[in-house]
Amino acid sequence: MAAERTANVTWTGSLQEGSGRIESVGSGAFGPLDVTWEARTEDSDGRTSPEELIAAAHASCFSMAFSGGLAKAGTPPERLDVSATVTFVPGTGITKSALTVRGTVPGMDEAAFVEAAEVAKENCPVTQALASVPEITLDASLA
Amino acid sequence: MSAASSESFALPFTLASRVGVLEGKTSPEELVAAAHASCFVTSLGSELARAGTPPVRMTVRCTITMDEIESGDHRIVASHISAAADVPGADDEAVARAAREADAGCPISALIRASATVTVEAKLEGGD
Repeated sequence: MAAERTANVTWTGSLQEGSGRIESVGSGAFGPLDVTWEARTEDSDGRTSPEELIAAAHASCFSMAFSGGLAKAGTPPERLDVSATVTFVPGTGITKSALTVRGTVPGMDEAAFVEAAEVAKENCPVTQALASVPEITLDASLA
Repeated sequence: MSAASSESFALPFTLASRVGVLEGKTSPEELVAAAHASCFVTSLGSELARAGTPPVRMTVRCTITMDEIESGDHRIVASHISAAADVPGADDEAVARAAREADAGCPISALIRASATVTVEAKLEGGD
């Protein structure tokens, strides 16, 4: 089944001095969120950026893939704390996404946890969408 | 989920909001849509300014499509950008040209195009 997800953005003024706003998204879960060029490359100062949104997409995608995989293996997690840090180089693009996960999974040892995390990383649709990013790393361990 | 670098949002998300009903919860694909739209809008503004016709205002909508592929896994298969710009001194063709350049320069367009289809339509605001 195909799923469509939508976001609406406006921008007023020039790139350097002007500002953008993610006005709304299809789910209504967030918006408006302010976006500026400065927030993207220098001090974020409470404003988001395309790369931070990709980080949020990657972290949430990985956490679902991992949680689903653990449940399917008969060892559902109690809790997964996931972070993604995306590196953006102006003129080049996104050069890295670094995933970190700390998990509480009853009945699972460290080696099995790390192996399952690697599988989730590869299967998550956002990792697949980041196929052209040179470096995608994963740091996984039990909490 | 929260945005640690800017602290600009903290959001709930679920599997249901990803493939089924939205119920006010976001999804990874909706966040990719927000990323692509916000990246494209800055690229379009740059291209219009470079052409000597800086925009007064731009609106960009991005729709991400996720679909099941043969293996049964889900993949992002398409991103569609629909842009409108209020640009004094420019016509539809100039906006469309700037949009093509913006698509070529936007790093998120390049990222998504590596594994999915990216389509762009753009027009002068107030035109048809």
